[in-house]
Amino acid sequence: MSDLTKSKIRQGVLDVALMLLVVVIALAIALVFIAIYGVSPGRAISAFLQGAFSGNFNLGSTLSKMVPLTLVALGWIVAFRGGRIQVGFPGQIITGGIFSSIVALKISLPIWLHLPLAVLAGMLGGGLCAWVAAWLWAKRGVNEILSTLLINLVMAQILDWWVQSPFHDPSTPLPQTRALPTSSLYPVLLTNTDLHWDIILLPVAVIVIAFVLARTVWGFKVRVCGANALVARHSGISPTRIGTQAMFWSGALAGLAGASLVLAGTTPAMGEVFEGGVGFNGIAVALLARNSPWGVIPAALLFAALAQGGQVMQATVNISSELVGIIQGLMIMLVLAATTMLYLTQRRRRKGPGERELVPPPELRGAELGATP
Amino acid sequence: MVTEIRGGSESHNEASGVPALRLEDITKAFPGVRANDHITLEVGAGEILGLLGENGAGKSTLMNIVYGLQEPDSGSIFVRGEEVSIKTPHQAVAHGIGMVHQHFMLVPDMTVAENVALAPSLTPGLSRLSEVERELRELSKRFGLQVDPHATVGELPLGARQRVEIIKLLYRGAEILILDEPTAALTPEEWRELSLFLRSMADEGRSIIFITHKLDELFGLVDRCTVLRDGAVVGTVDIENTSKAALAKMMVGREVALRTERPIVEPGAPMLEVRDLTIEDGGRTLVSNVSFTVRAGEIFGVAGVGGNGQNELVDALVGLRPLTSGSLRIGGQDRSDLDPKKFTQAGGAVIPEDRHDEGLALDLTLLENLILKEVDSPAYSRRGLLNLRGAGDHAKTLLREYDIRAPGPSVAARTLSGGNQQKVILARELSRNPKLVIAFQPTRGLDIGAMEFVYRKLNEAKLAGAAVLLISFELDEILSLSDRFAVMAGGRFLATLSAEEADPERVGLLMGGEEQP
Repeated sequence: MSDLTKSKIRQGVLDVALMLLVVVIALAIALVFIAIYGVSPGRAISAFLQGAFSGNFNLGSTLSKMVPLTLVALGWIVAFRGGRIQVGFPGQIITGGIFSSIVALKISLPIWLHLPLAVLAGMLGGGLCAWVAAWLWAKRGVNEILSTLLINLVMAQILDWWVQSPFHDPSTPLPQTRALPTSSLYPVLLTNTDLHWDIILLPVAVIVIAFVLARTVWGFKVRVCGANALVARHSGISPTRIGTQAMFWSGALAGLAGASLVLAGTTPAMGEVFEGGVGFNGIAVALLARNSPWGVIPAALLFAALAQGGQVMQATVNISSELVGIIQGLMIMLVLAATTMLYLTQRRRRKGPGERELVPPPELRGAELGATP
Repeated sequence: MVTEIRGGSESHNEASGVPALRLEDITKAFPGVRANDHITLEVGAGEILGLLGENGAGKSTLMNIVYGLQEPDSGSIFVRGEEVSIKTPHQAVAHGIGMVHQHFMLVPDMTVAENVALAPSLTPGLSRLSEVERELRELSKRFGLQVDPHATVGELPLGARQRVEIIKLLYRGAEILILDEPTAALTPEEWRELSLFLRSMADEGRSIIFITHKLDELFGLVDRCTVLRDGAVVGTVDIENTSKAALAKMMVGREVALRTERPIVEPGAPMLEVRDLTIEDGGRTLVSNVSFTVRAGEIFGVAGVGGNGQNELVDALVGLRPLTSGSLRIGGQDRSDLDPKKFTQAGGAVIPEDRHDEGLALDLTLLENLILKEVDSPAYSRRGLLNLRGAGDHAKTLLREYDIRAPGPSVAARTLSGGNQQKVILARELSRNPKLVIAFQPTRGLDIGAMEFVYRKLNEAKLAGAAVLLISFELDEILSLSDRFAVMAGGRFLATLSAEEADPERVGLLMGGEEQP
């Protein structure tokens, strides 16, 4: 085995160990809160594990929650690798859901055509929603973080109106659409669970995105733009064009997640809150996975289990499900801290006989933390 | 408070005759280079001292040491006769030392008064903005500096921003002012105002160190001038007893160390023809009516001090920046509407000035960096998919041919040393058998070994029939490699010389912006 392979393996092991450490620390802190709350940690843990993994129903719910989280995390990775930080996933999920609901409710077709069409419409919706921000960035220089964040607010309001007015189900006071026809829904995979056939998107999307980024010319160009936009320009690659495309596909993945939430939900209708925080949690999943498509699977499993187990924990041992939010928040902070620390120590080690330290003095350069890989 | 300090120091200095600032035996080494080599210099109260030297002569390092941005390896600093230790800019300020950097350190969205109030003053805590404004008005009146405290800095012209920088120092009670190449961005009128103002400050007893590489700025402004070369003091002269020619010779006039044999090739067809190239940006002319031709089998050099339009010229030649006027032909074809892709397709190769910012994607692997510019070619991709085997073989060959010391083609470019990173760029650019090579500061920051490697590869490209354009701030490099070269100053080509007819004094004068010696 060459030194190179060895050092790469060492790096990989280190990465995984670090993320596991982060998870353990976050859970340990959560247990402290549970203890303060007056519940014995042992009971809480067993309630949580049962809620997340025990029995077809709980396991099915956990797996089904993984799907949109995975898709959004992959969307973040595509944009981020291209140097774009878009945070419009909630808005893109909503747009995707709305597009899907239109196709589901306004067209009637056999299932083999209706479902794929509804799903594609969702992707298109998410992609278009992201494209608006990408266009503003490419043509007008509008910071994509701000524009996507603001579009989220707009889309949330539009959804409110959508399910109360034009698409409201008149038979209920609840803000939701009429029941979507079965021909537009993902069939259930496991009876009496929430697990639908959209679960196959999970491995497929991970493989496709990993392949596109690593092995295709387009993925290569995306990574060049993300690594160094000026080098990309020197090489005849347009960072604005590639960045716009990356944002479109990033949004399309969020739209696909939106389609899953609507077409494979617990109820066959689109409600006011169907997004359910998946948009931002998906970013956290990508960060925990350290922007690796493969790492998304365990990270999404963890977040899905937290959500599902947390719900059950609330019901059985009466612990507020807000606690799950605390754990997720802690994890995000710890991941960011750990990643930054790792980056800094690696830099320090590499500094050695550099020639760049000559000019200008470090005090005059900006903080370089922004460039955390 | 400002007045107090100044008054105190003045009487102190006049009484004792002690210099306001004295540097003794300052030495500072960086890996591979001695930036400051036993430098001793002093500036008296009420004196303006010029500090002259080429790029890399050690001026900036020396002043960074005085300002507490870097620590010297050895040597001492005396302020008004007392030895002091300056470890941070804050301590420098406490000793009455102020520095105007080449690049202004102002917040564009704030007013003048707010910017001044931001600066760490000798009295920590909150300063009232109205008081700052009142004091600013007083200072501007006393020195005849036109500064409106309410103006937003971002809307001021460059000359006015510089006045803000200086007034910031005065407000902080600086009595020893260091100005690092302050004229780079100024119009002649602004420069005249600045020089008058500097003189009036010196007349009040303040000491000024004026860093420059432009000879004509020294005359009529400074009292004495210290010349640095290769990190050491060449000499200190009274400006009245010297001439531009003498100073130029001191600045560059070493025996030129020819670092390589220059092969002589009969030049072939013109590969790069530039006619009346002009680049303007934001109302300033950065490159003005530059014309030259580089032929196949020839290395054409562009000498000059950095910041005289070289970056803009190179950006235009590789298609990153549009020409304002003029024309550009590569390989006999008009390419005035160049973009980087067309440049590469026309057989162009570029070794950019900054390998980290422009040359490499540091987080990508060597393999990926090596195929950057040819990823669409059938050798490295087919139907949108990367051909990793083809790219891998290519990378392995290049690692061997260019002697790149790396564990393998799949390590990140970031992990390599500077010399090996530069070799990766050379490998990518020169292995394409380019017709035109643009090399901008190709040996910046490299050690001797890597430097020689670069020289050899450039000569090989020339022997293989490429036209090579070499832009460098190092005169030795230009003289060692170029068959002919031009001297660039103030965005213009002042003269085109052959290597044989270049004597250091003349070139030094040209680099200092003196048109015809």
